[in-house]
Amino acid sequence: MEHTSGLERALRGVALALIVVFFLFPILWIFLMSFQTNEEILRIPPSPFFTPTLGNYAALISGKLTTVSGTLDIAFMRNLWNSVLLSTASVAIALVLGVPAAYAFARFKFRLGEDIAFTLLSFRFAPPLLVLLPLSLYFQQLGLTDTYAGLIWVYQLIALPLILWIVRGYFEDISPDIEHAYRVAGHSWWSTFTRIAVPLAGPGIAAAGLLAFIFCWNNFVFALILASADKQPVTVGALAFVTASGIQYGQIAAAIVLSVTPTLALALYAQRYLVEGLSLGAVKG
Amino acid sequence: MSQVALSIQGVDKIYRRRGRPPVHAVRTLDMQVGSGEIVALLGSSGCGKTSTLRMIAGFEDVTSGSITLAGRRIDRLEPASRGVTMAFEGYSLYPPLTVRDNIAFALKSARLPAREVDKTVEDMARLVDIEPILDRYPSSISGGQQQRASLARALARRADLYLLDEPMGQLEPQLRAILRGRLKNLLVERGMTSIFVTHDQTEANALADRIAVMEGGILQQFADPKTLRERPANLFVATFVGEPPMNVFAATVAVGDRVSFAVDDGPVFSFSSNELPLDVRDAIGGRKRATIGVRPHAVRLGAGPNEARVVSNQWLGDQSHLAMDVAGKLMVAVSHARIAARSGDLVAFRVGAADLHIFDSDTGAAVSHGLAPACG
Amino acid sequence: MPQLAIRDLRKSFKDAVVLDGVTLDVEPGEIVCVFGPSGAGKTVLLRLVAGVETCDSGVVALAGRDVTEAPPETRGVGMAFQNFALFPHMSAFDNIASPLTARRAAPATIKTKVEKIAALLKIGHVLEHAPRELSNGQKQRTALARALVADPKVLLLDDPLRNVDAKLRYEMRLELPSLLKASGATALYVTQDYKEAMALGDRIAVLIDGRFVQVATPGAIYREPASIGVARLFGDPTVNLIPVEPVIRPEGLTVHIAGCIVPLSRRYEHAAGRACMLGVRPEAILVDESPMADGFPVELEAVTPLNEKTLLLLRANDGRELLASEAGEDAAPRRHGVAHARFDPDALLLFDAASGERIPPKA
Repeated sequence: MEHTSGLERALRGVALALIVVFFLFPILWIFLMSFQTNEEILRIPPSPFFTPTLGNYAALISGKLTTVSGTLDIAFMRNLWNSVLLSTASVAIALVLGVPAAYAFARFKFRLGEDIAFTLLSFRFAPPLLVLLPLSLYFQQLGLTDTYAGLIWVYQLIALPLILWIVRGYFEDISPDIEHAYRVAGHSWWSTFTRIAVPLAGPGIAAAGLLAFIFCWNNFVFALILASADKQPVTVGALAFVTASGIQYGQIAAAIVLSVTPTLALALYAQRYLVEGLSLGAVKG
Repeated sequence: MSQVALSIQGVDKIYRRRGRPPVHAVRTLDMQVGSGEIVALLGSSGCGKTSTLRMIAGFEDVTSGSITLAGRRIDRLEPASRGVTMAFEGYSLYPPLTVRDNIAFALKSARLPAREVDKTVEDMARLVDIEPILDRYPSSISGGQQQRASLARALARRADLYLLDEPMGQLEPQLRAILRGRLKNLLVERGMTSIFVTHDQTEANALADRIAVMEGGILQQFADPKTLRERPANLFVATFVGEPPMNVFAATVAVGDRVSFAVDDGPVFSFSSNELPLDVRDAIGGRKRATIGVRPHAVRLGAGPNEARVVSNQWLGDQSHLAMDVAGKLMVAVSHARIAARSGDLVAFRVGAADLHIFDSDTGAAVSHGLAPACG
Repeated sequence: MPQLAIRDLRKSFKDAVVLDGVTLDVEPGEIVCVFGPSGAGKTVLLRLVAGVETCDSGVVALAGRDVTEAPPETRGVGMAFQNFALFPHMSAFDNIASPLTARRAAPATIKTKVEKIAALLKIGHVLEHAPRELSNGQKQRTALARALVADPKVLLLDDPLRNVDAKLRYEMRLELPSLLKASGATALYVTQDYKEAMALGDRIAVLIDGRFVQVATPGAIYREPASIGVARLFGDPTVNLIPVEPVIRPEGLTVHIAGCIVPLSRRYEHAAGRACMLGVRPEAILVDESPMADGFPVELEAVTPLNEKTLLLLRANDGRELLASEAGEDAAPRRHGVAHARFDPDALLLFDAASGERIPPKA
């Protein structure tokens, strides 16, 4: 039955509000923290009223962390740049490799095809720590330790399976007849792939790319072990705020706000296209 | 009509969804179904027929109006307490039960003696030809078999009203022809009041005592098949009912010694006063424009005052379908004999006054059918 | 030389044999309807000719050129798919134009050709619409236009009317022959509807279980079906089949049906003593309330109108169900109960019970 009483509607509103508060409160609190000094943050009881300061942000951008025991150099902006570089490059490479591979897995039945696809997915099952020890040994021998190339390579473990499996599903949803029709009309298989398959799976490719970007961005442990300070992303860089003389909550909060901003912006921007693309019903013709 | 079993009075159904304009799926529907009567709800998709069936079954609320079954107002009752049973178009069998247990389910819940349950299940299974698969599970039988099992399940129960949603939609045509006959026999023999939804007019014609033609949420006409065919209430019914449907043309009317209808950029159909009785001429009144129609089976080929070029001539084994170009439209003639015309030939034809349907050119309402005016 | 030649084509998927040695020649400009029950391999056959599927063995030749191994884009055929297969991200215009862009035609030529075919198919006003904005009928016409636009020598139509409603299907059935003849293309038309096959085909190729069991004109197939299987596929409702054993008696050749003796033409004398199936089309059964010569009593169980015909469900004394049909829906309203049936002797079909093949009458 689809009609609802006023009471039902009111209850539904209350429930939604509770959920929103539950999930968004931490983010709001972090945001407020980033404009406070450590003393204001740690006072008891906590209070939402304070004199806002940009000191935390200034410290991050200038790279000078002032603590009670002196001034420390931090490379936060460098970390942020590393994050952008590593995530973007990893996703770009994963898309270039993964989209054609996903197409192959979706369209062609070949020997061991399912096994290969599953093996790729199984990379996501293993805890990263399990592979890190042997990997760091190999990397030392290959000279890949502490290089962008090495990190981007390892990030493929995160991005490639994700893109492969999500995009494969989208390709499978496109009726093969649509591609057949384009071939019969006289177009080569390559132009069928680029003009028909890829545009039609576009929303899926965008979604997979976005998801892979966020996963790469949030990665912590690979970069912690395989790279040194000047190649590390923000997730690792945030450790610098745990100093000998205490934890710099204000700066951590500011760092979190700064490091969340790019992914959030990207998600909000892409969301419009994702929803548009997904609701186009394009794939079903 | 005998005693009224189901009475639908002033029922409206409006779907309101946020962010979309409301959809008025059924408009002020009034319908009485007699006890033991078989009624078809016929229309294209989105015409409101399925909404109507679901409102009777209780899967959908009525927005306004009332539904009374066997003297009881049912439109606010739960589906289970309405005394109706329904066969679904799609896959609605309980997956963990065998086909046999599916059919027996409601009978067992009603605490019928085991012997009677077994007999009913066997009877129904025989009726719809699924005896060999009684002990299989729904997942292992074909879509057509599932549909027949669902039909058997609905028919096995005792109810005041049997609702069938596209009961044979997925069956092979051959099987459908046989099942129609058997189903009709069962319904008539046991006096089961039933309403079935279909978009297939062959099925409606074969099974129903009366057919309710719906379009745009409005009941267009509710009558027996013969009346629908011979006296369609309006242009919609005329062009919807019939395979192939009626040929219709917009024409200019001239009433003098003869009554003539000049099809725009096309032939003139002209009738003497002897041919068209006075009350038909009265019904036409002062109209200058009208839409005229003739059923494909009523177009007389071979001789006559009119001529047209053949577009195609298709013989289907027991019928010939001849399409002619009349005023840029296709005019179809059907004959039970084989016609020897080729595309491009000119053929003569005539339309008898007795086969002429006249509709109001603005409202589409019927003005006259053959030799009698349409009654208001 | 045939425009399209198919030689001993075979195709299996895993262990299932879909096409089991199919051979067919289609002459230039001819329309051949490939007709058969679902799962008979009709669509696979069309795909093999189009080149979007590869065969296990056999040859496909277009105008004498062996194209068995050629990729689809080089075959130059036009194809319309059952599910339309329009490109959802392109306008109707671009959809129709796709065979021309593949041939690198000049934009002006493309525009002229697309507009011409669109006008012919009455979709000129929706060329700028995306497929999702088109009605089912318009989608289907767009798909046809796309198949026809480059004037292909061979046209492959995979049940193109399947997914449009009955009324549109009927209209297209009337329009298609002149459209196809005007294009001059050789057409292979797949359908599951025997009426469509009879209406459109110059010849019908009946595909059952991966083999062509009969390839002939519509009239020949209806009157002289090669086997029980073919006879059952043509006719609505389908042919009645009665197991019989013809015997020669003093008064002529006869069969026993439901305890009665029914005469059979002497031209079937060579079938005497064989286990046979008698095929009787519903329109060849005459039903009356009073006894008839050569008739037998039946129970009239149900009378249902069917599209300007009346169907009579009969039950013979031995419990056998028979379907008879009469022209017109106004056939005298009949009461259920005892009636009598008689077969039209000229319209009977006789099949060998074991092989299912038709036993032709002696001249």
